[in-house]
Amino acid sequence: MTGNRNVIEVEGRVVECLRSAMFTVELENGHQVLAHISGKIRKNYIRIMLEDRVLVELPPYDLTRGRIVFRYRN
Amino acid sequence: MNAKICTAGRGENAVMITRVADRQWHALDDDLVVGRGHAQHRPDGRLFVSIDAWHEAAFDRLAEAMLTELPAPLYTVVDEADAELTAGWRRAGFAVRRREWEYVVPTDPRVTGLEAVLPPSGVTIVPAGQADERLLRAVDRAVRAEVEATVGWRSMPAEVIAGLEGDTVVDPSKYAVAAAPDRYLGLIRVVRVKRPRIGLVAVRADEQRRGIARALLAHTLGTLHRAGAAEAWTEVHESNRAASALFEGIGARPTGSNLELVR
Repeated sequence: MTGNRNVIEVEGRVVECLRSAMFTVELENGHQVLAHISGKIRKNYIRIMLEDRVLVELPPYDLTRGRIVFRYRN
Repeated sequence: MNAKICTAGRGENAVMITRVADRQWHALDDDLVVGRGHAQHRPDGRLFVSIDAWHEAAFDRLAEAMLTELPAPLYTVVDEADAELTAGWRRAGFAVRRREWEYVVPTDPRVTGLEAVLPPSGVTIVPAGQADERLLRAVDRAVRAEVEATVGWRSMPAEVIAGLEGDTVVDPSKYAVAAAPDRYLGLIRVVRVKRPRIGLVAVRADEQRRGIARALLAHTLGTLHRAGAAEAWTEVHESNRAASALFEGIGARPTGSNLELVR
């Protein structure tokens, strides 16, 4: 887990691709969050797929949601 | 850079927008980062923006600040299924400029019906990694010039990565080509990272309607199938009916769409 000015970032794995451009991501601690793709990723046409290892940013006040901000290559 | 703009939010708290770098903005709510804005130039010179915000008010304040400070036109890309984000950009005055369908393409010849497809007489398919680089770059330049002279690249791919002196063939090993004795007639580019992506299928204008694109697909999809890939994916601009017909004719199915918005 990394911290950057109140931003919580956690590594996880995409376990489900949902409709409405959402994904279920299982975090390192086993917790699952509903995540969408960050605008920066979308802008660069990076695709997120099942089993992808990703970095998820969590909002400061709701740990059930997330935003995928990075996709690891492996 | 640390220019601050304090604005009243829609909720009880004020959202403060801070420009933290030349092309980056933060939205702070009670000293928590509740949104980020980012802008970057594409190789084609267009300025693309993105906003990631945890609530509507933060999105709107970021958009307001960025649109005030950045020169028009501005572009962004959204997944059309992401209704909330799309609505946010519409509130900021953005409109749809282009729509691109994402297709999942089967590779199994029994599904695609491409098993018996061969290139037309006098044309051979050169597998990926075996193309002559000089001829490959020549056909790539010719095809891109033809596109530029007609609909133009600005209405085609979201991004063209240009190399030296306008060369767009970044990795020649990714291309299979259709070859005549004296020149290449068409090309197909497939990048394989997990699920293979067909990034480009193109045939010289004076060689179209001969079945060359279909033969390139037959070769490439068959190769992927033998290598164990059950599916590939690609994107097609909604106005490119010929490409849609080509892919749908081999069993490809649309799975989503991306919108390029402009203001």
